[in-house]
Amino acid sequence: MAGEVTLVDLVKTFGDVTAVDGINLEMPSGEFFSMLGPSGCGKTTTLRMIAGFEQPTDGRILLDGNDMAYTPPHKRNVNTVFQSYALFPHLNVTDNVAFGLRRQKVGKHEIRERVAETLELVQLTGFEKRKPAQMSGGQQQRVALARALVLKPAVLLLDEPLGALDAKLRKALQLELKALQQQVGITFIYVTHDQEEALTMSDRIAVMADGRVEQVAPPQEVYEEPSTVFVADFLGVSNLMDAEAVGGANICRLQVGDFELDATRGKTDARGSVRVTIRPERVHLEPQESTGQNRIPGMVERLVYLGNSVQVIVHLAVGATIQALVQNVGTEIPWKQGTAVQAHLPPDALRVLEDTGAALAPLDEGAVPA
Amino acid sequence: MTRIRGWLANPWGRPRFLVLITWGYIAWSIVPVLIAIQFAFNSSRSRTIWSGFSMRWFTWDPSDSVKNDPDLRHALGQSFKLAGADVLIAVPIGVLLALGLARWRGRGAGTSNFIMLFPLVTPEIVMGVSLLLVFTHIFTFIHTGTFAQVLGHITFSISYVVVIVRGRLFSIGRQYEEAAADLGASPAVALYRVLLPLLTPAIVAGAAITFAISIDDFVISQWLSSGGGTVTVPMLIYDATRAAPLPSINAIATIMVLVTLLTVLVGFLAYRYFTRGERAAGGGMVGDMAAFDI
Repeated sequence: MAGEVTLVDLVKTFGDVTAVDGINLEMPSGEFFSMLGPSGCGKTTTLRMIAGFEQPTDGRILLDGNDMAYTPPHKRNVNTVFQSYALFPHLNVTDNVAFGLRRQKVGKHEIRERVAETLELVQLTGFEKRKPAQMSGGQQQRVALARALVLKPAVLLLDEPLGALDAKLRKALQLELKALQQQVGITFIYVTHDQEEALTMSDRIAVMADGRVEQVAPPQEVYEEPSTVFVADFLGVSNLMDAEAVGGANICRLQVGDFELDATRGKTDARGSVRVTIRPERVHLEPQESTGQNRIPGMVERLVYLGNSVQVIVHLAVGATIQALVQNVGTEIPWKQGTAVQAHLPPDALRVLEDTGAALAPLDEGAVPA
Repeated sequence: MTRIRGWLANPWGRPRFLVLITWGYIAWSIVPVLIAIQFAFNSSRSRTIWSGFSMRWFTWDPSDSVKNDPDLRHALGQSFKLAGADVLIAVPIGVLLALGLARWRGRGAGTSNFIMLFPLVTPEIVMGVSLLLVFTHIFTFIHTGTFAQVLGHITFSISYVVVIVRGRLFSIGRQYEEAAADLGASPAVALYRVLLPLLTPAIVAGAAITFAISIDDFVISQWLSSGGGTVTVPMLIYDATRAAPLPSINAIATIMVLVTLLTVLVGFLAYRYFTRGERAAGGGMVGDMAAFDI
C-alpha cells in the first residue's frame, strides 16, 4: 500500500536560521503521525517541505521510496489542509472541491460523483453552492478536508487544521478526523502545538524542539515514558527536580538535597547531575507523621480546583516545588494552604531524564489540566 | 437653547464640529464646479450672467457647441483616445510588473520596488520635460504627437496600476497559489484560475484610476503634443480661458467631470462586486480599498 514517507537527514536553513536541523523520520503507510512542538520548532517547515512549498537545504524526502525533495508541489501525490484553509474565495464549495480533479482532467460525470461522495464523507451535503465566506469556520475546515481527500492522495498533510476553531468544536472534530483517517486509510501527517490534540488522535507522535526530533513514540509512551526533559515538560505538568545520581543499575539511587530517592524509570544507569520527573497524578500526599522510603516533607502552598480533580502545589523541603493531582471523589481534601505533608514519590513513578538542552516552554504554555 | 449651551460646554461631545468642518470643506470644493456646470447650460454667451437654461452649448449652437465646433469635438476624441490606449496598454503591463515584483525575492527586488514609486513622486512637469528631451535627442524616431503622448501617459500610469495590484497581492498572500499548486495546478494554471480572478477587483480599480488620471492630464499631454490634432480637452480649456471663452468650454468641462465621475463610480462598484464574498468574511482583505482614497 502506498503512502510511506521517509525523511532522511532533512535540513532547512533560512539565511542564518536553521529551522530544521537534521531530521530522520519514518511514517509508514496508513499511519496517523503527528509532529508536536512549540512554535518555531520546525514542524511546519518540515510539513511544507513534504508538501513541496519549501526546498530542503539538505537531505532527502522519500515517498514510497522515491526521492521527491525537488519535485514541484503540483507534481506530488500529497495534499495539504492549510491552517488558514486557503479555500478559493471566488469559487463555491463544489468548485473548490472539484479544483484538483479538473486539473487531473477527470471526466465531468466522475467529478460530480466524487465531489458528492466526498462532501457526504465530511457531512457537507447540501452546501454545494455556498461560497466559503457564507460558511462557519468548522464548515470551511471540512471543505478544506474534502478538497484534499477527493484526490485520494497517498499522504494527507494537515497544518494545525483545528487551530482556528473554538475548544468544543475542536474536540468534536478531533474524534471525527481520527475516525475519518481510519475510514479512508490514508497516511495523515499532522502538525500541532496542542499536546492533547496529538495524544488523542495519533498513532505515533514526534515531539520536536529547535529543529530536532526529541522523541518518536506512540502517545502513551510519549506521555508515560518521556525520554528527555523537554518532552516531559512539553507534555503537561512534569514536576522536574534536579538530582544527583549516585549509584545502582536497575534501581537508580538519587540524592536530592538531604534526601535519598530510588527511581526505576528512565535512564537509571545515568550518573552525576540529572533531572527527575514525576507525573502529578502519581504524587501521593500523606500526613506529616508518615514515614518510609521515597518520602520528602513539604508544605502545601496552594490549592487549585480543577473540577474533576484538585491540583495541590507543594513546596518541598529540598527547595523544589511540585504539583500533586488529587482526584475529586466527593470527600473533602484534608490539605489546606500551609499544611505540612509528606510527599510520597513511588520509585516506579520517578523517571530519570536525559537533558538535550532544548529550551523549555514557558510554564503556562506547557501546562494542561490532566 | 440647552443644545447650544451643551455644545458650548462640550463641543467635542458629539463630533458636531468635525461634521461642520467636513461639510464646509465639501461645499468649498464642490461649489466652483457646480457653478462651472451651471453656466454650461446658460442660454446666452456669458459665463458670468445667468440668462436661462439651455442645451445650446452642448448640441444646437450651429458653430460653437461641443457638437458642432470641430476643435472641441476633436479634443474630446483625442482625450478619449489617449485614455483608452493608456488603459489598454498600461494595465496589462502594470499587472505583470506587479506579479513579478511581488513574487521576486532575490537581489535587487527591494530596489526595483522602490524605483517603481518614482513616477508617483516625480513632479509631472519634470517628467514631461524629461520625456520630451528623450524623444527629441535619444529616441528621435519618436516624434511628438499622439504616439508620444500615449507613451508619456503609459509611463506614469503604470506605477498606479503596479501599486494597486501589488497591494492586493500582498493582502491575499501566497496561500491561494500554494493551495492551487498543492491541488495539481501548474504555475500558469494557478495564475489563470486562481490569482487573476482574485486580482480582478484590483485590476478594475487600476484601470478606472488610469483612465481618470489620463483623461485629466494636462502637463504631459501638453509637452508631448504637436499642436493641431493632438490638443486634448484640458489643453483646449487652458488655451480657451486665456482668450475669450464661451460657455461651450463649460459644457466640455462638464462632460469631462461626468465621465471621470462615472469611471471612478464604475470602478468602485466593480470593486465592491468582485470582493463581496470577502467582506462577508469580516473585511480582512479590503485594506486595498485604499486604492480609492486618491
